[in-house]
Amino acid sequence: MKKIRVKVNKIIEGFLVLILGGMVINVIWQVFTRFFTSNPSAFTNELARYLMIWLGVLGAAYISGKNEHVKINFFAQKFNESIQKFINRFVLFSIISFALFVMFIGGIHLVFITTKLEQYSPSLQIPIALVYSIIPISGLLIIFYKVTQKKS
Amino acid sequence: MEALTVFILVISFFLLIGIGTPVAWSIAISSLLTLLINLSSLAALTTIAQRMATGLDSFTLLAIPFFILSGQLMTHGGIAERLIRFAKSLIGTLPGGLALINIISATMMGAIAGSAMASASAIGGILGPEMEKEGYDKEYGAAVNITSSTIGLVIPPSNILIVYSLASGGVSIAALFLAGYLPGMLTCFFLMLVASIWAKRKGYPISQRSSIKEIFSSLISALPSLFLLFIVIGGIVAGFFTATEASAIAVLYTLILGVIYKQIKFKNLSKIFLESSKTSAIVLLLIACSMSMSWVMSYENIPQNLSDFLVGISDNKIIILLMINLILLFVGIFMDMTPAVLIFTPIFLPVVKSIGIDPIQFGIIMVVNLCIGLCTPPVGSVLFVGIGVAKTSIEKVIKPLLPLFIAMILALGLITYFPQITLWLPEKFGF
Repeated sequence: MKKIRVKVNKIIEGFLVLILGGMVINVIWQVFTRFFTSNPSAFTNELARYLMIWLGVLGAAYISGKNEHVKINFFAQKFNESIQKFINRFVLFSIISFALFVMFIGGIHLVFITTKLEQYSPSLQIPIALVYSIIPISGLLIIFYKVTQKKS
Repeated sequence: MEALTVFILVISFFLLIGIGTPVAWSIAISSLLTLLINLSSLAALTTIAQRMATGLDSFTLLAIPFFILSGQLMTHGGIAERLIRFAKSLIGTLPGGLALINIISATMMGAIAGSAMASASAIGGILGPEMEKEGYDKEYGAAVNITSSTIGLVIPPSNILIVYSLASGGVSIAALFLAGYLPGMLTCFFLMLVASIWAKRKGYPISQRSSIKEIFSSLISALPSLFLLFIVIGGIVAGFFTATEASAIAVLYTLILGVIYKQIKFKNLSKIFLESSKTSAIVLLLIACSMSMSWVMSYENIPQNLSDFLVGISDNKIIILLMINLILLFVGIFMDMTPAVLIFTPIFLPVVKSIGIDPIQFGIIMVVNLCIGLCTPPVGSVLFVGIGVAKTSIEKVIKPLLPLFIAMILALGLITYFPQITLWLPEKFGF
């Protein structure tokens, strides 16, 4: 299981670097065309925004796997060990439920609706469903990370 | 019904956060529970998912990952050392020299890098050991480093002011940036005053006076880093480019500078990009979740009701501002800055507007106020970084932190009740 986690991490890391790099190139290109050519690029604004949604949502799954989201351990540490164990299980359960119900089920529904309504982005003409599809993907990734997480 | 929704929102949020659920998930889950009262479950699930994504769909927000990236490029690009050398040559001869150098360098670093945590770890990491060698208490050094690292959040370029611009429905980023300078310098000055008095009483050593030549050469070496501020802020204020475009230019500029300084190589570039993606993702998830909570709250009419309630208590300007400041200080103890700004701006902004406070000034009040929360236990992120690099503990650092808190609160008071401090500079530029 550990090997698969490492592999998944590597793949996501590659994606995150590419996405951030893509965002930077997009906006620099936008500035460049605005200053040095007569017709400034129009699609860069949209593409950079969609890439950021991907960065935020996919990155959220990655950080979940690393357990690096900001949290407050101060109060939970005051309890004795068996209560702490119960609390940790409850936290894990809450995160998994959120990933399953909101990100996976809600996300799939969202992708389904936008596909059915045939929504396309105004300038690039890519399906909005594609932008939203990162939500269920990340939901699954979070569930994967949390279920395979070593019990501490 | 309304009381019930507020009750569920607040209780579930504090419960989740209290047991150690990550803050972003706590915000999102409590928003979902609140929405489930009024909507069918599939609709509620879909709405939260959609609000999270659309919360990030903003060109303005792109400046945040970009400033984080340029900050990372600087941390690896040998810029902190150059800033410290410059500050040293300027003020090393005052009482508590090294402490003051720490405050000035942290202010500059925080301003350029746009991150209090980056500043606390970079400056504290270099100056902490030096202060200890000269006989300073470790805890005193850590306290100075922690508090001064937050000043850069008020001095532009500042990601949190961009977040405020978004939450307030479009207050000009250029105006906010200009407005941050004097309050930031005021806070910096107050901290230096307290640090200096403390150092004199403890009899900490004074550094040697620098020669004009030293001052000049350190200025030259710091100049390219400081010039970045000129390009970014100058470009935004003059209207050459938007904050987002300026932040992308900052990335390009720091990258080129790091390559020229031979500190950044192609090999560690992907590591820097990954590090920045991670930091950005943490902030972006907080934003996505806070945006969904903010949407749920306005759907349930909560900001309107709370605003009415606040105005009902008093219509005295001084008392309302005092109440809001006290609430924000309390919020800042438990909540990170970004969600606090996104969630509380829609609640407080209508109230302060109705008593004639400029939205620009209120943004600065909010950020200066929440800076204090970054340095307090149990959540203060800068506090943890600061005690981490100084290798000390919260209990020990509290005592030297207290007088510095008083200095910050004093500065906050002045900024709150004297609008000129904030508004003078933007007005000069015609905002």
